[in-house]
Amino acid sequence: MDETVAEYIRRTVLKIPRDEIKMLLQKWGFLSEAQLQTLNFHQIKDNISQEVVQLCEENSADIKQAAVLDIIYNHAYQNKRMWHVYQMKKSGEDLEYFDITDFKKAFKGRLRSALKNVTITFKEYEDNAIWIRVAWGTPNKKPNQYKPSYVVYHSQTPYVFISTSVLKSTLPLLCQALMVASNYHDIREMELRSHSLNSLKDIVFKRYSQNFQTHSPKPVKGGNVEPEKDIRIVEENKSEKERIHRLNQEVFGSGPLPKLEFAQYRLETMFKSDPKMDVLDKKEPFRCLVKFSSPHLLESLKSLAPAGMADAPLSPLLTCIPHKARNYFKIREKKGLFPEGFVSP
Amino acid sequence: VVASLRQHTNNQERQNFNLSFHAHRAGILDTVDAQKIAFLLRKAWTLYSVTPLFRFHRARLTEYARLLSAFIAAEKRKGLAVEVGVELDIKVALTSLADLRGSELDQAALLVQLSSRSQASSRNSEDKLVWSGWFCSMFGDDFSENVLEDFTCLPLFLSHGAESYTTLVGSWFQKTFDCCFRRLAISPLNLSWMVAMWAGCKLDRAASAVELVFSVPCLSQPLDISYAIHPEDAKALWDTVQKTPGEITQEEVDVFMDCLYAHFHRHFKIHLSATKLVKVSTAVASAHCDGIVKILHSQYLPGVLMLLTELAISQIQ
Repeated sequence: MDETVAEYIRRTVLKIPRDEIKMLLQKWGFLSEAQLQTLNFHQIKDNISQEVVQLCEENSADIKQAAVLDIIYNHAYQNKRMWHVYQMKKSGEDLEYFDITDFKKAFKGRLRSALKNVTITFKEYEDNAIWIRVAWGTPNKKPNQYKPSYVVYHSQTPYVFISTSVLKSTLPLLCQALMVASNYHDIREMELRSHSLNSLKDIVFKRYSQNFQTHSPKPVKGGNVEPEKDIRIVEENKSEKERIHRLNQEVFGSGPLPKLEFAQYRLETMFKSDPKMDVLDKKEPFRCLVKFSSPHLLESLKSLAPAGMADAPLSPLLTCIPHKARNYFKIREKKGLFPEGFVSP
Repeated sequence: VVASLRQHTNNQERQNFNLSFHAHRAGILDTVDAQKIAFLLRKAWTLYSVTPLFRFHRARLTEYARLLSAFIAAEKRKGLAVEVGVELDIKVALTSLADLRGSELDQAALLVQLSSRSQASSRNSEDKLVWSGWFCSMFGDDFSENVLEDFTCLPLFLSHGAESYTTLVGSWFQKTFDCCFRRLAISPLNLSWMVAMWAGCKLDRAASAVELVFSVPCLSQPLDISYAIHPEDAKALWDTVQKTPGEITQEEVDVFMDCLYAHFHRHFKIHLSATKLVKVSTAVASAHCDGIVKILHSQYLPGVLMLLTELAISQIQ
């Protein structure tokens, strides 16, 4: 077995938390159950990975199998990576039959015609997701297995999720290969990024519970309001609380929200102030960059108004995130009739 | 431009600062060679207030260094080791920095440096600086005026390096000079002073953004908001707000902050004033509410240190 392959497998196993190693190796399926039984998982990881490498040596593992192990690791720990969303466009309306074998062949063909040294690996998952791993080399160097790109493509959709290699120059070639293989003629990056791959999928596939309009004329009882136990206790602002709750429901829905970690707004709007204050009155934009971050951004935004930190309804700049499928914005002043409005190009 | 703060009330809870700044108060530090103070810049310093040192003698620095070194070695033998694994010999250096002060009435700054030389390496290997801390007083005259003879006033302490070393050095000073160290927290009020003042500073080079970081912890999910303004635009705003020549008032700082809050609210409908301002960052310096500052520009060093000295003094009083 090649020394570089051995080292790569050793380092990949080292990344896995000790309790998860056996399960991921089983998913990999390269080592037999009997071989797995011989492994002692109660020692330090350094030793476990050495033992795994020895077993791989017995089975003569090559880079192809090692690459599959890497996909399995990254699929299990997908949230460690930052994912960008791309949308592809077809020229015609025809829904062509998707053949996975043709796709793989065309993808590999396109890449290999441009670059001799690449390692390309595919793995299909139950939810129709095709995971693609590409390790990039140069005409003179073997592929760098430690800086691959990962692509997740759902064949029935025009969406591709890419976690790029740090080798940025490889991105255009990757996009080209995707288009050629999947029969699309254009691809563009959406302004949507997150560590949570599932949340990105929720947003673009519209898998979360969206706004629902309550058509019933009678007001919805605030779900958070506890029934009073003591009639001497009167809840202040009860109707305001209920109004906020209802507005939140309308905008955010009542189901779980997709998990995003941040949203970024580049503001190029005018600074407007109370004329009495006699402050800045420039004709040029007041340039700002605003970033919101949270372990679960949409949930925290939803709780701002009930906590009294924001007005209800919350600004559409924030509430549009899921249905506009973006978390990067550039906001300019809207010219003309409505000076208070904003446009987002 | 150098500014000085004077506390409006003595009440620790409600700090109401009435800032007046004089035309640049000529100080000793202004003429110092940039090289000498380079070590201060671009490092994150943790701030403490220190009560006056009793019977501290400048002439005895070498002796103090020896005693501190012995203290550290003894603590390590007791098992309070700071480094696990590698055995390190800690060397202590105490230096007086005569130029690092505001006026003649200030005590010269005192620099403490801990260096290590790994026992494993050869005799020729260089010492590696592992921790530094310095005591300082920048125009702290109001404070030192009222202090008795045997006491040395250096109310501001800044440390950089492992906290375990800070604890060791701090305990030795506390035992030896009967003083008291306390972490210096920076309130949102003081942070807004800092960002307003520093945003208005004129800088010859291209400046970095004026950034305010807010934290909203008590929600179902914590939220952090970073609000960064182009430095030219922030300065333009401050220049129209700051009207009184030779003075910065609380009112002007409030107007500046309200303008920023209003601009934010217009877009996002969020009341930033209801959140907690935890960090401010400008091209001059950055400061965090936990009492951590980074000074980025030597030109405004005296001003920043003066402000920090005032904060330290008000925490002691």
